[in-house]
Amino acid sequence: MTTLTYKDGIEINQVTRQQITLRGKGDGAFAFSINKEVSLLPPSDNLRMVDNDRFIFAKQSFDQWVLIAKTKEDDQEILRMVSDINKNEAMLASNYSEGQSYFEISGKDKDRYLNKLTHFDFRDKKFPASTMVQTLIARIDCCIYKLEDKYLITCGKSFEDYFRDRLLDSVNL
Amino acid sequence: MTENKIYFKFDGKKYAGNQGDTIAAALLRNNVRLIGRSFKYHRPRGIYTCGIEEPNALVQIINEHNEPNVRATVKKIYEGMIVKSQNRWPSLKTDLGSINNILSPIFSAGFYYKTFMGPKGFWKNVYEPLIRRTAGLGKPPKEFKSKSIHQHHNVDIIIVGGGLSGLLAARKFAGTNYDVLLVEREDALGGILKNSNKIKSINDQPSNDWLEKTKRLIRNSNNIKILKNTLVTTYNFSDHLIALEDKNVGKPQDNEKPELVLHKIRTKHAILANGHIERFITFRNNDLPGVMLAASFEKYLNRYGVIPDESPVIFTNNSSTYSLLKSLTDLGHKPKAYVDIRDQKNIEKETLDLLEKFNIPFYPKSEVEGCEGKKEVKKVSIRTKKNQITKIKSSMLCVSGGFNPDIHLFTQSKGLLKWDETLLTFKPDRIFQNTITLGSVSGNFSYEKVLVEVEKKLSEFQGLNELEVKFELNGPEKFQIKELWETKHEKNSLWSKSFIDLQNDVTTKDLKQAVSEGFNRIEHLKRFTTNSMGTDQGKISSINALGIVSKILKKDISEVGTTTYRPPYSPVNFSAIAGRSTYEFYDPERKTSLHSWHVNQNAVFENVGQWKRPWYFKKSEDETMHQAVQREAEQVRKTAGILDGSTLGKIEIKGKDALTFVNLIYTNSFTKMKPKTGRYALMLGEDGMVKDDGIVCKINDQHFIVTTTTGNAASILAHMEEYAQTEWPNLNVYMNSITEQFATFNLSGPKSRVIMSRVFNDIDFANDRFPFMSFKNFKYLNTEIRVLRASFTGELGYEIYVPPSHALKLWQKFFIYSRDFDLVPYGTETMHLLRAEKGYIIVGQDTDGTVTPLDLNLNWMIGKKKKDFIGKRSLTRTDIVRETRKQLVGLVPIDKTLGIEEGQHIIEQKDLSLPIKDPVDMLGHVTSSYFSPNLNHSVAMALIRGGKRKIGSRLYVSTENLNTIAVEVVEPNFIDPKNERMML
Repeated sequence: MTTLTYKDGIEINQVTRQQITLRGKGDGAFAFSINKEVSLLPPSDNLRMVDNDRFIFAKQSFDQWVLIAKTKEDDQEILRMVSDINKNEAMLASNYSEGQSYFEISGKDKDRYLNKLTHFDFRDKKFPASTMVQTLIARIDCCIYKLEDKYLITCGKSFEDYFRDRLLDSVNL
Repeated sequence: MTENKIYFKFDGKKYAGNQGDTIAAALLRNNVRLIGRSFKYHRPRGIYTCGIEEPNALVQIINEHNEPNVRATVKKIYEGMIVKSQNRWPSLKTDLGSINNILSPIFSAGFYYKTFMGPKGFWKNVYEPLIRRTAGLGKPPKEFKSKSIHQHHNVDIIIVGGGLSGLLAARKFAGTNYDVLLVEREDALGGILKNSNKIKSINDQPSNDWLEKTKRLIRNSNNIKILKNTLVTTYNFSDHLIALEDKNVGKPQDNEKPELVLHKIRTKHAILANGHIERFITFRNNDLPGVMLAASFEKYLNRYGVIPDESPVIFTNNSSTYSLLKSLTDLGHKPKAYVDIRDQKNIEKETLDLLEKFNIPFYPKSEVEGCEGKKEVKKVSIRTKKNQITKIKSSMLCVSGGFNPDIHLFTQSKGLLKWDETLLTFKPDRIFQNTITLGSVSGNFSYEKVLVEVEKKLSEFQGLNELEVKFELNGPEKFQIKELWETKHEKNSLWSKSFIDLQNDVTTKDLKQAVSEGFNRIEHLKRFTTNSMGTDQGKISSINALGIVSKILKKDISEVGTTTYRPPYSPVNFSAIAGRSTYEFYDPERKTSLHSWHVNQNAVFENVGQWKRPWYFKKSEDETMHQAVQREAEQVRKTAGILDGSTLGKIEIKGKDALTFVNLIYTNSFTKMKPKTGRYALMLGEDGMVKDDGIVCKINDQHFIVTTTTGNAASILAHMEEYAQTEWPNLNVYMNSITEQFATFNLSGPKSRVIMSRVFNDIDFANDRFPFMSFKNFKYLNTEIRVLRASFTGELGYEIYVPPSHALKLWQKFFIYSRDFDLVPYGTETMHLLRAEKGYIIVGQDTDGTVTPLDLNLNWMIGKKKKDFIGKRSLTRTDIVRETRKQLVGLVPIDKTLGIEEGQHIIEQKDLSLPIKDPVDMLGHVTSSYFSPNLNHSVAMALIRGGKRKIGSRLYVSTENLNTIAVEVVEPNFIDPKNERMML
């Protein structure tokens, strides 16, 4: 974890996470394949998350889910999981661990701060904990996962420098 | 007190003002009345208002990058501020441009349209430069770097306006469950409570005490956020409002901090409590410095403690000027005269009592005919009820022509207006969005009724607070007005002017002339005369114009209608609109995981979409691009070169029906393709035209990985998703973009196998073990990489796919293990050159959306036995198989020393000489052209009509002048046509 800033009610950390993007019908076989690996059943509602000690499991759209490791897993283990899940020929698991950058944003002013970069409505009544959203932040596609006291934000790895600069720029303005 | 004084300069002279003063307040405090010159006639102009509606007092702030057209009535002073008047030369007092005023009889409405018609060429070379030099409002800002930010808000309620009505609404919502944003354009809440003495007390306490309590209540509630110095400029659809906050009010600029914040607000309900604007009355010389709106005069007294004049003449057609009269007399000053168009019997008793008590000269049923003076008002000419002219010496005239509810935002929201015959104004009628209007913006000028209105209109909200408010007023409660838009001139000279639009120098005479010339629709008339088209958008005058036009047309004002109120309400700086999307953040940037290495190796980058790709690598400071590209290209074919191909789109496709899917998406057939092999593939649109290309790698029949061009990666994934979801929902197939999960290196050159064997010494790269277009996955450190044997250069080549965290070390390893070969990193320009030597196309460069696989000689890529694929039907259309279509060919100059320019035409004629009498038959154009260091002459590819049949013939390529270059048409494959190098 790298702390990018810690000031004025905002803390931004860049973290290492691993991620598997899953596509499929979400049927029993799908649930079985995942549950076998991470002991979680897929959330059935769009943009909802479930989690356990190891993984966050979020539904991004009607046929897309994402698994995010909460703490660093062995890379070989992630590769094995992807390979095992892909044995179910009716679904696709892609390793996104290195294709994404991960930022955690916390602090009392995190909503106001992020609203310098995105129009998204962060109010609890509109964006409760254990939900996620795919939206634009600083004009790039991002996913925001609302954890209890912070947001986990992911964006494409290639945008990492730009996104980090925009995050820091907004803290200072 | 000296320590509270703030010193600033206006036109080079130092003045002192008070903390919180606007430039206008400070200048009035120093008895400065002449502020600027008018737009067209360069007439002397002063301060007309005390706010955003100001048409006259526009200045430049020299120490803020020469910012022009700043309203002196809004901008607060600070220590060291340098202000300059504008639109004058050489000085404000002596302006040579004022000759326009003498020539004004010829500058009538439509002057430009009628005058500058000829002779030909004069407009561009003479008229326009001259007019641009002499006209205009201020000088453009000098180059500057601005910092503005955007701030988004999502709320339940926005209250626009922190005046009395807005505060009453805020009190209702304080401490409730509603998220409320209260937006006030000034630096303090209170509005009328601070600007006038109209309200004596609230709940038996001074109104200021009530205001302070209300502010505390709002501050202590955790559901209301206040934005001050913030002007709501725009009311869009879906209750989306835009507001501009000035963060530097009363402070010098700080380049490190944002000067402006553009707030983008999404709300469930918008409460508009943004008040009203006083309007003027048109009379002769109504533009002279010293003429000021009455409510503005009162605001200077109450808000800034400035007395613009101790004994002005007051001219009104309504009851509102009582409070000005009272404010002045309370301060011990006595107006020179009180002129009221209304009959004495209709004038409020309170006003009459005050006039009598202080023995103020009173002119009922009278009007101001005009003003006298050169650079400011010296005398006021009054036409009395007996139709006699009386002249009174006075240096200031306060005018009130009634009030317009500030309906701009309401009409931007698409709400409908109606004309109120009693108030003589347009006011909101029907809402279109979730809009609530409160107070004077509703046309409600009665304080008691405001309370009722607030309760009634907010009754739809649950759990609001009760309001317990009781007003005690100074003066009349009921607003009463008599119609008067323009008074009658006594002097009917050519130079006598009654202005209807002060900022654009539009006179009532212009309106009359425009109507007489047929511009009898208000929108046409506005554009012909430029009435209400300035930065003030005619805030104090547009309704007056309607009044005057309705009289000319003999129609009701409601019939004439209003012009369209468009956002923004007031000018918004471009820097605020841009926000942080400027300079280093102009566009999001994508970088590969090797970017820092490229930077260290002096890469010159090119933008490919949002990607930063190395274009070429400079070996030394003085190496040119051409030299670098030639060096790189030569080295690749001599030993080996390596390209960062990470930007290539990569899509993983999987599912029970994945094979069927790729067979439908691409033209090639993949059915018989062996697992662990790759195939160069083409993708067409429904029209049969080439859409994209790439390599399809088959893991097995249910699992593929495909590549796309860099620029098309996202759109090709979307294209695939669309077909999977809408055209073939029966197929079990899913796809993910894995572009960023892998860095990609393209190693090319005769030594590449040796290098690969050194870097991955446990892998057998022998030709028979690792043949062309096959791939292998293998463990590398703690991850997995994939190597595909493929080539985009015509040389022996490998593509290495590695997770980004391992990319840099592996990339460096390639260089360490190939020192004896001088492995060269090469950029996109060299890649283009090498592939052109080999005759490989670039989709988007050698194709343009009108090119089929047949045109590109890629028939071999079409699965002839396939039942279907996207574009198949189109390939059988007669036009597609026509032999005279433009087809891809190669070109080699006959004179090998000559270069061919991309984009030039291909023609059959050798000589082109002027004048060209007959049309020149253009056969096609050059799509790619490079100087090949390996062939030592230029090679080019071109799309030529019937190109295949022209192979072997001589054609000509146009140049930037009339010369042509003779070329031989050849097969588009210049190096190793038998592919021996690639298959090594």
